[in-house]
Amino acid sequence: MSILSVAFLLFAAGLIIVYYLVPKKAQWFVLLAASMFFYCFGGWRSVGFVVATALVSWASALGIQKKTDAQKAYLKEHKAELDKAQKDAYKAQMKRSRSRLLTLCLFFCFALLVFFKYTRFLLAQFGAEQSAFGIRADDAIRLLLPLGISFYTFQTVGYVVDVYWGKVQAERNPLKVLLFTSFFPQITQGPISTWSELSCQLFAEHSLDYTNYVRGAERLIWGFFKKMVVANIVAGYVKDVFANYPQYAGLTALAGAFCYSVQIYADFSGYMDIMCGLCQMLGIRLTENFDRPYFSKSVAEYWRRWHSSLGAWFKTYIYYPIAVSKWNQRLGKWAKQRLGKAFGDYLPATLALVLVWFTTGLWHGASWAYIAWGGVNGLFIIVSMWMERPFAKVKNLLHINESAWLWRAFQVLRTFILVTFIKVLPEVGTLRQGLGLWKRIFTEHTIPTSLGRLLPFATDHAAFFAAVFGVLLMLVVSLLQRKGSVRELLERRVPYILRLLLFAALFFMIVYFGVPASGGIGGFLYAQF
Amino acid sequence: MDELLELLKDINPDVDYETEDQLIDGKVFDSFSIITLISNISETFDIELGPQYLIPENFNSAKAMWAMIQHIQEDE
Repeated sequence: MSILSVAFLLFAAGLIIVYYLVPKKAQWFVLLAASMFFYCFGGWRSVGFVVATALVSWASALGIQKKTDAQKAYLKEHKAELDKAQKDAYKAQMKRSRSRLLTLCLFFCFALLVFFKYTRFLLAQFGAEQSAFGIRADDAIRLLLPLGISFYTFQTVGYVVDVYWGKVQAERNPLKVLLFTSFFPQITQGPISTWSELSCQLFAEHSLDYTNYVRGAERLIWGFFKKMVVANIVAGYVKDVFANYPQYAGLTALAGAFCYSVQIYADFSGYMDIMCGLCQMLGIRLTENFDRPYFSKSVAEYWRRWHSSLGAWFKTYIYYPIAVSKWNQRLGKWAKQRLGKAFGDYLPATLALVLVWFTTGLWHGASWAYIAWGGVNGLFIIVSMWMERPFAKVKNLLHINESAWLWRAFQVLRTFILVTFIKVLPEVGTLRQGLGLWKRIFTEHTIPTSLGRLLPFATDHAAFFAAVFGVLLMLVVSLLQRKGSVRELLERRVPYILRLLLFAALFFMIVYFGVPASGGIGGFLYAQF
Repeated sequence: MDELLELLKDINPDVDYETEDQLIDGKVFDSFSIITLISNISETFDIELGPQYLIPENFNSAKAMWAMIQHIQEDE
C-alpha cells in the first residue's frame, strides 16, 4: 500500500476510529490486525516470512528464558551444597545450552535475509552460475525482497539477544511478539526499536488525547510536505544529474550531489514524521530516528543523529560485543605492551568499527558501491579517533576557540560537504559511476553563465521554487528545534487560527505542488534497503 | 572504590567523579573511552564485563559502576 495514497489515509483514519472504539485491552490486537492487513499488500509471501521470523524469535526467546529461570532456581535451591567450581560448571553448561538456542535463531533470521538480499551478489562474486540450492544468478533477480526484512530481522534479533543477555524478560504471548516484529509504521523504513522501548508503548492502554491527536496530525502533514513537495520534486533533479553527469558541468554535478542530500533527508525524515505523527495520534511514542543530522560537527556525530536507531543497533549488538570480547581485549593488551598505550587503547575499538562499517555498508545494499560507502564512512570515523590527540595539539597551537560560532559553523559545513560526497557514492549506480561523479565535480571547471545552465534540470519553475521554499522552511524548523519542539512553540506563541492557516497552507502546497511517487509503499528511498 | 576512581582519572582527570552522574548521558565519556574503561575494569577487578552490562545507567556515575562491579563479583 502506497503511503502517498488516499487508500493509506483511509486505512489510517479507519485504524484511529476502531483503535479508540474497542476496549482498551484489545487495542494492541487492532494494531496487529492493521499490521497484517498492511503487510498483505506486500504479498502473502511477505506475511509468511514475517510470521515465521516472529514465531522462531518467540520460541527461541522463551526457550532461553526458561533455561535462565531454571538456572536461577537450581542455584538458589542448591546454594549450600555446591562449591564455586560446581556452580561455574553448571553455569557454563546452561550458557552453552542458551547459546545453542540463540545461534539457531540467529541462523534462521540471517539466513532468510542473506538468501533474499545477497544471493545474487554472492553468486556474482564467485562467478557461479548456479548455487547449491539450484538458484541461478538471473533467478535471484526475481527473488523479491520480502517487505521490511532488513528492518524486522534486526529488530527481532535485538529482542532475542536482549533476552539472552537478561536485559528483558521473554514475552509468552506469540501474537505480541508478532506485533513487535511487524508493527506497520516502522516495518518498511524503521526505526529499529528495542523491546523495552516499543513493547511498553504497544501494549499500554491509550485514551484519546486532544493534544496528542492534534500534534500527531500536525507532524503527519509536515511529513507529507517534506516528502511530496521537497523530496519528490528534488528526486527528478537527482535522477537527471545521476543519469547525465558526463554531459554536465562540474558545478551542475555538484548541485546534483547536494540535491541528493536534500532529497534523502526530506524523504527519510518525512516518512518518519508521517509515521511518528500517526503513532502520536494513537498515543504511541515511536523511537526518534533523526536529530537534525546536517548540523553535526563530525562524521561520527552525524551517524549518531542520522537513522540513529540503526546506529544504536550496530553499537549495541556488533560494536560493543566485538570491542569488549576477550580475544579483542587480549589483543589490545598485547598491542599496549608492544606498540604503546594509545595503540593498545584504540585497537579493540578500531577492529570493532571496521566490522560495524563493513556490515553497515552491506546492510544498505548488496553491492561493492555500498561496501565502499561503508568503508569511507568508517575510515573518516577511525582516522578522526586516532588523530584526536594530534588534532587537539594543532588546535591548541593555532589558538582555535572550539566554542566560537565561526569554528562550529565551519565544522558543520565541512561535515555536511563530506557526508554529501560519501552519500552519492553508491547512489549513482555502480561504484565506477559514483567515482565518475566525484571525478566530474573535481575535474570539469566550466562556469555556467546562468541559473538555467547551472540547473538545467529545473525546467518547471513553479515546482523548483516550491522545493526551494520547502528547503528553507525545513532549515528554519531545524534551527528552531535547537530550543525544543516547534509544534509546542507554535502552541505557545501563535494564535490557534494562525496555526490552522499555517497547516492549511502546507496542505494546499501538498495538493498543488506535491508530486506523488510510484512504488509499493510510495517510492521512499529507505524502503529499498 | 579508590581503584575505580584511579581508572576513571586515567580516562579523564578533569571530572569530579564523586558528584558527576551524567558521564554517558552528558557525553563526558564517548564509546571509545568506554571500551578502554571496560578493558581496565575487567583487568583490575578480574571480572567478565559482557555486553549486557553496557547500558548508560551502569556507567553514568562512579557509584553506579561500583555497584555493577560488586554485582558481577557476587554473581561470579
